[in-house]
Amino acid sequence: MKSPFTKGKSGPWKSQLRPGDVIGTGTVGLRTRRARAAFTAIGIAIGIASMVAVMGISSSSRADLLAELDSLGTNLLQVRPGQNTFGDSVKMSADAPGMIRRIAPVEAATSVSEINKTVQRSDKVPSNTKNGITTYGSEANLASTLGAKASSGRVHDKASVKLPTVVLGSVSAERLGITDVETAPRVWIGGKWFAVIGVLEPLPLNPEIDRSALIGLDVARSTFDVKGLPSSIYVRTTPEQVENVRSVLARTASPGAPNEVSVARPSDALAARAEVDKNLQTLLLGLGGVALLVGGVGIANVMVISVIERRAEIGVRRALGATRRHIRNQFVVESTLLSLLGGLLGVAGGFGVTAFYANSQGWLLALPVQGMVFGVVAALLIGALAGLYPAVRAARLDPAEAVRPAA
Amino acid sequence: MISKSKRINGVSPPINDERSTVLELRRVVRQYEGTPPVRAVDNVDLRIATGELVAIVGPSGSGKSTLLNLIGTLDRPTSGRLFVDGVDTSELSDSALAGLRSARIGFVFQQFHLLSGMTAVENVAAGLLYRGISRTERRKRSTEVLKRVGLGHRLSHLPNKLSGGERQRVAIARALVGDPAIVLADEPTGNLDSKTSNEIVELMHRLHADGSTIVVITHDKELAANLPRQISIRDGKLESDSTNRTPPLSVVQGAGR
Repeated sequence: MKSPFTKGKSGPWKSQLRPGDVIGTGTVGLRTRRARAAFTAIGIAIGIASMVAVMGISSSSRADLLAELDSLGTNLLQVRPGQNTFGDSVKMSADAPGMIRRIAPVEAATSVSEINKTVQRSDKVPSNTKNGITTYGSEANLASTLGAKASSGRVHDKASVKLPTVVLGSVSAERLGITDVETAPRVWIGGKWFAVIGVLEPLPLNPEIDRSALIGLDVARSTFDVKGLPSSIYVRTTPEQVENVRSVLARTASPGAPNEVSVARPSDALAARAEVDKNLQTLLLGLGGVALLVGGVGIANVMVISVIERRAEIGVRRALGATRRHIRNQFVVESTLLSLLGGLLGVAGGFGVTAFYANSQGWLLALPVQGMVFGVVAALLIGALAGLYPAVRAARLDPAEAVRPAA
Repeated sequence: MISKSKRINGVSPPINDERSTVLELRRVVRQYEGTPPVRAVDNVDLRIATGELVAIVGPSGSGKSTLLNLIGTLDRPTSGRLFVDGVDTSELSDSALAGLRSARIGFVFQQFHLLSGMTAVENVAAGLLYRGISRTERRKRSTEVLKRVGLGHRLSHLPNKLSGGERQRVAIARALVGDPAIVLADEPTGNLDSKTSNEIVELMHRLHADGSTIVVITHDKELAANLPRQISIRDGKLESDSTNRTPPLSVVQGAGR
């Protein structure tokens, strides 16, 4: 089709279009068919908006999570007894916390010991009523090791830990209906009254403490006649030595059978939430990609129709001196601008959704700059690509044919 | 005869005639492939001089539209040579032909073919769009030409707010704004009532009197008879040419009123 026209010399007259007019001709179709342009751009807008929103929300969420991890610290390790090779549960020795404290980079270590006694609001409640609250015998340095604070009352100190007093985890307090200690409430643990001296704030890294009632370890031993072997040891290390400490903890806590204890970092569980989000993020990005693809196909479709409808205009422009290149550029520019319009709408929309969602979650708004740049660039590329085929068709139209009166 | 040498920098070589030749066809053939092949334009020799107002007249199917497309360089001859302003168009590339059209040829169509959504001035200015002329200059010249065709009061109107005759005047202004060597009008009165048609013919006479070269393609013998020179075409061949009766320039100007 092109072959008979490409030969030949350039004549004394040159057809030329100013750069500003290239943009101008590219907007003719958009200006004269506004409603259609708007509808066509919506597809791209939705695709870009969803991608920007996904990127924005996940980066806001991650930023929030990292900030939370930062404040909680990632230098807390937890040692728990596991099972021996026969599948029986094992116990750690009562010396374990002391031995762990001797590891140089360990800043603090504290143990809790599960006491098999129920916690009740009063002695009138049947003792077999389950409420999911675990009683722990604990040491005075528990709160300082975990960074726990009392939302009401106070935490155990060296004196109170030796008295029949109890500090409740946040969930336990809620379940027992004790929100503050002003009224000097008491609870009924294993047939004894304990004075509630404090309620802890929620501990994101230690949900098991949230659902516990903490009494002194020595009190537990003497009152309930139990050994009080550690069921969990919390170890706070210097931040730089976490991994080194981690590697020696099992052997220190259980020198005879290091494989029988498990060592975990509670902050890892929290960090895993970011990984879970990643799957959802991939899914949503995929959906956004599909929306973009459909939007691009929609633009190509509309441009093909537009070229057919505007045959006469193309013919007239050729008669007025437009080269094939001018015609092609006109339609590529038009489709690129159309897509860019959608892209800008989408970036604005996606940013709006991100801001709204971050606000509703109480997060700091992380500006999804990457997503926004990506959105605009993707829109430009999609538009240029979608417009290429219709534009080449427009450029190939035979001008003599195009200006002929419709039969 | 026309000089074969190329036109240089817009200056036509002198021609051994009372007026210079703006368009020359030498044994031009346009054949459409098929069984059998159809010669829509068959061995046409034609010469049109600067300042002429010519009617090419013929019934539908006579090949006059094909001839118009060839003259307008929208189509290429199968064989033969076509010179516009002294330049052999068969040697030019497609984009060079576009350049030729932008600078030297103005088109007027039966359907007007104005761009909807653009005002009268913008439509006329589109005639200068592909010449690399600034927007301000385009608007200035367009306004002048619109005044010349009697539409000084319709500058900012959209085509759908204009009557048929006014639309055709805008189209004529668009053809004229680039100061072309030749204006090609394809059935310019085909979509107009007789009163409006007369006005358009009158306008063409006036433009002719001002020195424009105009070729009108029509099937309307009455319209053709009103023009100084008629060339009739039938079955792709020239049937008759009233060229010998073409009055000298001075007389033409008088007839133009």
